[in-house]
Amino acid sequence: MYSDLLHALPEVFALTNFIAVIIGVLAGIVVGAMPGLSATMAISVLVPFTFGLEPLVALGLMAGIYNGAMYGGAIPAVLLRIPGTPAAVATTFDGYPMAQKGQGGFALQVAVVSSSIGGIASAFALMLLAPPLSKVTLLFGPAEVFWVAVFGLASIIFLLGGNPVKGLISACFGVFVSVIGSDPIYGNDRFTFGQLELLDGINIVILLVGLYALPPVIDLLETPLKTDSVEGEKLGTEPIWKALPKMKGYWKTWLRGSFIGIWIGILPGAGGSMAAFMSYNEARRSSKKPDDWGKGEPEGVAAAETANNADTASALIPALTLGIPGTAVAAVMLGGLLVHGLQPGPMLFRDNPDVVFGFMWQFLFGAILLVLLGGSLATNSFARLLNLPRPLLGSIIIVLMLIGVYSIHGRMFDVYMMLGFGAVGWVMDKLKFPLPPVVLGLILGAFAEENLRLALRIGRGDWAVLFKNTTSLVLVALTVAVVVGPMIKRRFIDSRKKEGEA
Amino acid sequence: MRKTLSAALLAAMAVATPALAEYPEKPIEVIVGYSAGGGTDVMARTVAKFLETALGDGAAVVVKNMPGAGGQIGFTEVANADPDGYTLGTFNLPAALALTNDRNADYDVTSYTYLANFVEDPNTVVVSAESEFETLDELLAAAKADPGAITVGLSSLGGNDHFSANMIAQASGAEFTLVPFKGASMARTALMGKHVAAGTMTLSQTASFQDERSAFRPDVPTAKELGYDAQMSSLRGIVAPAGLDPEVEAKLEAALSAVNAMEEFQAMMAEQGNPISFVSGDAFEAVAVQQDGVARAIWEETPWK
Repeated sequence: MYSDLLHALPEVFALTNFIAVIIGVLAGIVVGAMPGLSATMAISVLVPFTFGLEPLVALGLMAGIYNGAMYGGAIPAVLLRIPGTPAAVATTFDGYPMAQKGQGGFALQVAVVSSSIGGIASAFALMLLAPPLSKVTLLFGPAEVFWVAVFGLASIIFLLGGNPVKGLISACFGVFVSVIGSDPIYGNDRFTFGQLELLDGINIVILLVGLYALPPVIDLLETPLKTDSVEGEKLGTEPIWKALPKMKGYWKTWLRGSFIGIWIGILPGAGGSMAAFMSYNEARRSSKKPDDWGKGEPEGVAAAETANNADTASALIPALTLGIPGTAVAAVMLGGLLVHGLQPGPMLFRDNPDVVFGFMWQFLFGAILLVLLGGSLATNSFARLLNLPRPLLGSIIIVLMLIGVYSIHGRMFDVYMMLGFGAVGWVMDKLKFPLPPVVLGLILGAFAEENLRLALRIGRGDWAVLFKNTTSLVLVALTVAVVVGPMIKRRFIDSRKKEGEA
Repeated sequence: MRKTLSAALLAAMAVATPALAEYPEKPIEVIVGYSAGGGTDVMARTVAKFLETALGDGAAVVVKNMPGAGGQIGFTEVANADPDGYTLGTFNLPAALALTNDRNADYDVTSYTYLANFVEDPNTVVVSAESEFETLDELLAAAKADPGAITVGLSSLGGNDHFSANMIAQASGAEFTLVPFKGASMARTALMGKHVAAGTMTLSQTASFQDERSAFRPDVPTAKELGYDAQMSSLRGIVAPAGLDPEVEAKLEAALSAVNAMEEFQAMMAEQGNPISFVSGDAFEAVAVQQDGVARAIWEETPWK
């Protein structure tokens, strides 16, 4: 089972494939460091351009960008208290206070080492878990896949945050978009208005580019704000090998953060920001001096940054084996695989082992390279990137988006559609509707519908087919737990509060 | 003023003169109704490469992908293009004509000049390696004993595998429950996981739908050999819009025949797993008309939408 893993290794070290990872990591750090630009956006802009590339070059770029961006977000989070990516919010809690105390350089070094460790752990999880899982996925027929999709939709609850109603509306919008096109069984047109271009449904990359890339770019152009410029000298960096011994004591935090990140990554629905928050809270809870947290405790930076990198590769476990992406980034990456004719699922591991396992290695090397590229040589220069003129950056990204979306099918229709989604995304952003539920609604909604109908067809219309075997029943139980669990917990906390008051 | 007028006239005449001896004098476009990297696209690119050699004289043949609506966008584009010999397209049978039954299409079987068919991929009845069924008769017996109990996984409704299942059902009097997945690879995975009992795609085992045994699977008997009157396959060829100039048509047909005769081309197609069955011109058109009839008959008997 794991021998394919070793066979794939030489290919990964081919010059172009390896350079792709290096470029990916560097580009990822840059993108992550730009407030507003995220890994999802960078990869969705990139996917259409990878058509002509060798699969491993394309995938290497993506793996590198993902790892790089998850660390890159820490740079403005620490220096300016602006999280570069949503996943870096928890990094600001202690990173910024550290920078104010003149320890910005050390904070970034802790961030890069922790990110790298999280990424390495995640890559190992992917390597160890995906191959055996790919054998089991043959057990997943339409009924089981339906329940996985329902489970994923249920876990959107995690993403709803402060305003569940807005979150649900976002999710419903996503599910609605999934309905557009010909229906998966009979091919009846739904909401296509006679447009042949809509018959195949809405390409996820088009939606993602519009929704995730356009609003932040508009934001970038809207507020050409001049942030405090960052001076390299102020960082107070020392060589990373001198800083490393100071981090000895963080191994528990690293271990915990990695586990949380990997687990959150595997769950469909949740993503990097939630992993970072959970890891931060858990680390703080088990700390001996919780009062120092939020005032510049390096371990806080370590906790957040380990976890947000640990969900990268693990998010691909359900994506590669079942074809169900756990996060928006994983969804875009699946799009990248499909562009190269690689259909996720058990067949992928049998038919294209060199590509799949090579991809896993690229995640590992991306994570290792992070510490070399981000840590020792370039953090100072990356920090200066924050001084780039924003209008320039914004216009370059818009041009890339237009070219990229056009090149997917070679038609302007998609470009107009992307701009339409961009407008919707911009309005949603302004009205504070969360965007991740839209993407998950689109992906999982389509999965749920298609597989429910297939299952019923196989069962000749008998709904009992959905509860026929253990796999289904386990998934049903998990779904119920996800929905009911938080309610019970809240009830429990409420009643305890009342007792306290009484 | 007069000068420019006559110059314009001259230019108009130059355009009108059939410069056939020099065809092609600009790049020829081959429109593929599917994404880059798929089976049809790979065939188109292989043919395009060798067609450049066959036409000689530095001819350029460019593949253009126009995916969408199950190939319909590409098929429509070819049907509506100028029949000047500079727009060709790939043509998939029975899919291209089958879909004209279940939805509005701007073309039909008469909209094309049929140049040459290259690939004929026979449909086979397949079961999982661990299936309880060893022969086609066993499978059909089970399907007759409990009508609808045998599920057949398809890549979609209205495709060649759907028609195969229909034909074998009709020939034997068995009844299947058809389960249309989203694409062949999903159907294949479901078959391997035994979520459906059988499939009719081009994989292996039990029975081939071909008249003759396939070179790729010589050990598999054909449905006809087993006594069931059923034959279905997926065909891929090259067409041009209807009304193509006969001289251009002849030139293209000759060039495509030359492509087929090239050893290197045959080797490349075999490597891609494409079983070749070359027919050109009127013979190809006859195949298209026959396939159109098969699709319409099935649509009228058992509409799938």
